[in-house]
Amino acid sequence: MRAVLAQQNISLTNFLNQVAEGLGYLQPEITLVATLILLLLFDLIFKKNKAFGFTAIASIGFALVGVLALLQWSSETVSLFGGMLSLTNFSLLLKVAFSFGGLVTLLIAWRGKDEIKAEFFKSGETLIMLAALLLGAFFMTMTMNLLLVYVSIELVSIASYILTGLTGDRKRSEAGIKYLIFGAASSAIMLYGMSWLYGFTGTLQLDSDSFYAGLTAVPMLPLIIAMVLTLAGFLFKLGAFPLHIWSPDVYEATPTPTVAMFSAIPKLAALTIVFRLVQLTPDTFDWVPILTIVAIASMTVGNFSALWQKDAKRMLAYSSIAHAGFLLVGIITHSETGNEAMLFYGLVYLIMNFAAFFLINQFESITGSTKIDSLKGLGRSMPFAGVLMVLVMVSLTGLPPTAGFNAKLYIFSALWEAFGQQENSWLLWLFIFGLFNTVVSLFYYLKIPYMLFFKELQPNGIQTKGRSADYIIGTLLVLPLLLLFFRSDWFVDLMNTINFVF
Amino acid sequence: MAHLLSFIVFIPLVGGLLVLLTPKTYEYLYKVVTLSSLGLTLLLSIYLVAGFDTGLQEAINTEQQLQFAEKADWFSFSLGSLGEISVDYFLGVDGINVTMLVLAALVLFIGAISSWNIKKHQKGYFGLYLLLSTSVLGCFVALDFFLFYLFFEFMLLPMYFLIGIWGGPRKEYAAIKFFLYTLVGSVFILIVMIGLYNSVYDPLKTAEAANLSVSGMNTEQIIEAVQQQVESGAIAKEDLVKSFNMLHMANDANYIPGSFLDKAGLSTVFGQPARWIAFLALLIGFAIKLPSFPFHTWLPDAHVEAPTPISVVLAGILLKIGGYGIIRTAYAMFPDGAYHYAWLIGFVGIFSIIYGAMNALAQKDLKKLIAYSSVSHMGFVLLGLSAMTVEGISGAMYQMFSHGLISAMLFLLVGVLYDRTHDRMIENYGGLASQLPKFTVFVTIAFFASLGLPGFSGFVAELTVFIGAFKSEATNGAIPFWMPIVGTLGLILGAGYYLWTLQRMFMGKFWVKDKHWLSTLKDLELREYIMLVPLVALTLLFGIYPALLFDLINASVISFVDHISPLAK
Repeated sequence: MRAVLAQQNISLTNFLNQVAEGLGYLQPEITLVATLILLLLFDLIFKKNKAFGFTAIASIGFALVGVLALLQWSSETVSLFGGMLSLTNFSLLLKVAFSFGGLVTLLIAWRGKDEIKAEFFKSGETLIMLAALLLGAFFMTMTMNLLLVYVSIELVSIASYILTGLTGDRKRSEAGIKYLIFGAASSAIMLYGMSWLYGFTGTLQLDSDSFYAGLTAVPMLPLIIAMVLTLAGFLFKLGAFPLHIWSPDVYEATPTPTVAMFSAIPKLAALTIVFRLVQLTPDTFDWVPILTIVAIASMTVGNFSALWQKDAKRMLAYSSIAHAGFLLVGIITHSETGNEAMLFYGLVYLIMNFAAFFLINQFESITGSTKIDSLKGLGRSMPFAGVLMVLVMVSLTGLPPTAGFNAKLYIFSALWEAFGQQENSWLLWLFIFGLFNTVVSLFYYLKIPYMLFFKELQPNGIQTKGRSADYIIGTLLVLPLLLLFFRSDWFVDLMNTINFVF
Repeated sequence: MAHLLSFIVFIPLVGGLLVLLTPKTYEYLYKVVTLSSLGLTLLLSIYLVAGFDTGLQEAINTEQQLQFAEKADWFSFSLGSLGEISVDYFLGVDGINVTMLVLAALVLFIGAISSWNIKKHQKGYFGLYLLLSTSVLGCFVALDFFLFYLFFEFMLLPMYFLIGIWGGPRKEYAAIKFFLYTLVGSVFILIVMIGLYNSVYDPLKTAEAANLSVSGMNTEQIIEAVQQQVESGAIAKEDLVKSFNMLHMANDANYIPGSFLDKAGLSTVFGQPARWIAFLALLIGFAIKLPSFPFHTWLPDAHVEAPTPISVVLAGILLKIGGYGIIRTAYAMFPDGAYHYAWLIGFVGIFSIIYGAMNALAQKDLKKLIAYSSVSHMGFVLLGLSAMTVEGISGAMYQMFSHGLISAMLFLLVGVLYDRTHDRMIENYGGLASQLPKFTVFVTIAFFASLGLPGFSGFVAELTVFIGAFKSEATNGAIPFWMPIVGTLGLILGAGYYLWTLQRMFMGKFWVKDKHWLSTLKDLELREYIMLVPLVALTLLFGIYPALLFDLINASVISFVDHISPLAK
């Protein structure tokens, strides 16, 4: 009895040691939590002129998070909390990107129209939820345990539901409820799938031997069912077919800065989870058909639906569904180059989307609308912003001379290589569908330049004078897209140092 | 002069930036900057031709055959276990693109003069025009596939805006149609480009990466040594430097053994050898640009809606990029595919000739008529290429050059009429010869040049194509005898639609549909002479003295045919 206790005691000390050690690696997350709490306290204590305080706390907090993540940079994999988390520079890079995204979100809100500014900076809720969303996304990039996968996804989701339906506005409440119901259903499906996986393997730990051995031993059909069910929750966050239906409504109803964040951060975080699951499943299980169908369907459905959209944010929602398909291509190739191409694509996608939403927000703050029609002739009166917008749209289409082209080139090169090695006809179809989808996407991306430059300005007396701060921020967001085309080796060299093994 | 090609390509870009930076109050400067930068480009390209060595006879897939070549590392990065990718900034001219470069510089300059009447948003127009110029010029001299693709794609964007903002009534439709069609073509090209660079390595850079001891060896020996070692598998995969170099891609020995497009040709796609499919994809990609039947439907729309200078550039140069691309990539890289599909190319060629001509015959809009005549004339390019003989290839290249001059002339002349009346319907005019004698002279010259009257460059081009095509069956069997015979029908149809148009619009009693036109219908002015006279002179010059052009291209064409000819193997 005593011996047992002593042993427990030791393991408890061990455990506490692990926690203490692990916490040391969680500085960015702790900072996020601290930011969150500070925002909360500030909101409670101060009564007047809160905007400045909120802005300061949130922006310093997010910037600090990025810096802290950057300081942890190392090419080694660190296993934390008894293997619950795995910290690699892959997750660190994404964390830096996410905190960059957080900062840009604040910038977009700061440059937005008055209602947006009010929502973001008058009271603390929105900022707190943004911090919570980031926190969830951070954990999603590290987690190695299905339970933690679930918890972090839920953290992101709940923050997202609240951000969508926060105000009493009817349209937003509707979108929020839709989002919630959809999310709850997919979470339930995912949990069910996870329970099957737990049943097969007796563990929730993705990298444990028994997980691997268990999955190898299970017959194929139940395993496929379990995997597809589990995938459902991830695809929901990824915004990929067939769980993409929520995104257009949510994107349309939610304020532009929040949408910018929705479109990039949870998506990439979910991508890492799919990536990890695929990496850690035994080779006996063939992911290619499942993911190829998802990818092709996402691209095609996303692009073709985007063709008919009249609202820029709705259009970008469908575009982000299509991009989710492209991101999955990197995972499907299951190769070193594929991983790098996926990460490259993901980061370029993040920059492109933030730039796109920043510019849409800029036009929105002038016209008060995100309808594509409302952009009529604005490019002529604001040529600089117009040109930036054209560049971003060109990049989203994936044409040179922008980083969007390199991203597509690398991801399809990786796919080609995989096809050359495996001669798997699924991959060939993916290749062909993927590239021809680019043509479809051109049609709707060009709508925006079309409205900006081909149409005459509507004589409704709107003030079209651009503000220099907008031009500077816009340039800073678009410049990387050009730079990464002309010197994409810089970025790829960075990708080469990334450790994709967990 | 060092970096001559870079200057030629990027002077317009610098001009474009100057235009963008010049404030609106100095609007007259836009034209000055445009004209002077394109004039400088033209002068430099003439200087380049003057210094072009016509006697340089080297294999078409080696760098020794290039002149004025410039090469610098652009970027390269490691692919881990799969080696390294290297992209170069690589420009150069040989007999295949030197004529195209001069043509482009000339037509762009004339297009700039023709843009004098543009009143709307001059800053944007001239900025985009110069941007277009850089990408067109760059496309002809880039020899790195990545760089080529950059220029090739970048052309679309300025073109889209130039048609879509400054075009006619259905400009938006025409602009997006042009963009989408060409992008479909680009995707085909991109697919092959991805396949190619994954299959091709750069021997010299590989020698460096693999640390081969190369002391005392000259470049050719190093290349040979590397090729042998790669062939035997002595060089590890991670040391291979994959290359976008278009000349390396045209050399079988540089394909990684076992790669998807290697010379053994064991890989298949849809049950066909991968190399053939790659050839077809490139062919389709560039045939859309050319355009040949059945991918030509964007051309009439784009032409009808585009403003005159843009039509001139479109017909004069952009179509040639299609032909040039087929020669430089599809034929040079996959001669086996070219030989296998020669019948198809020849057939599509004659079909385009006749189909285009018949369509032209049926047109009511003068500009559409000329657009369809372009489709017909580009069919000759395909017919010449499909023959795979020296005469056929030379004829195809001559036809591209000649059509560049003649079609520029034709579209300028349509523009002259449209400027005065804003109407291009053939039926609305009659007996113009009595009212506009000088204009009529130029139209007659242009029509005769285009229908292939001896003495004009078009005649030489078409004759050479036919000689090459007739020779094919007896020498290499690429295309059967009946194809050129049927193709000659196109000449008759060509004469038919031009002469008929001449008769309807210019002969007989003077009549116009709208009386208001009487006051605006003035004969040619000085600016129009400046554009037309040089074109007429050049058409005549190259019709009377074809050696001027053949000398430039001959050495390269012979080595090109040696390279692609199945009999040489």
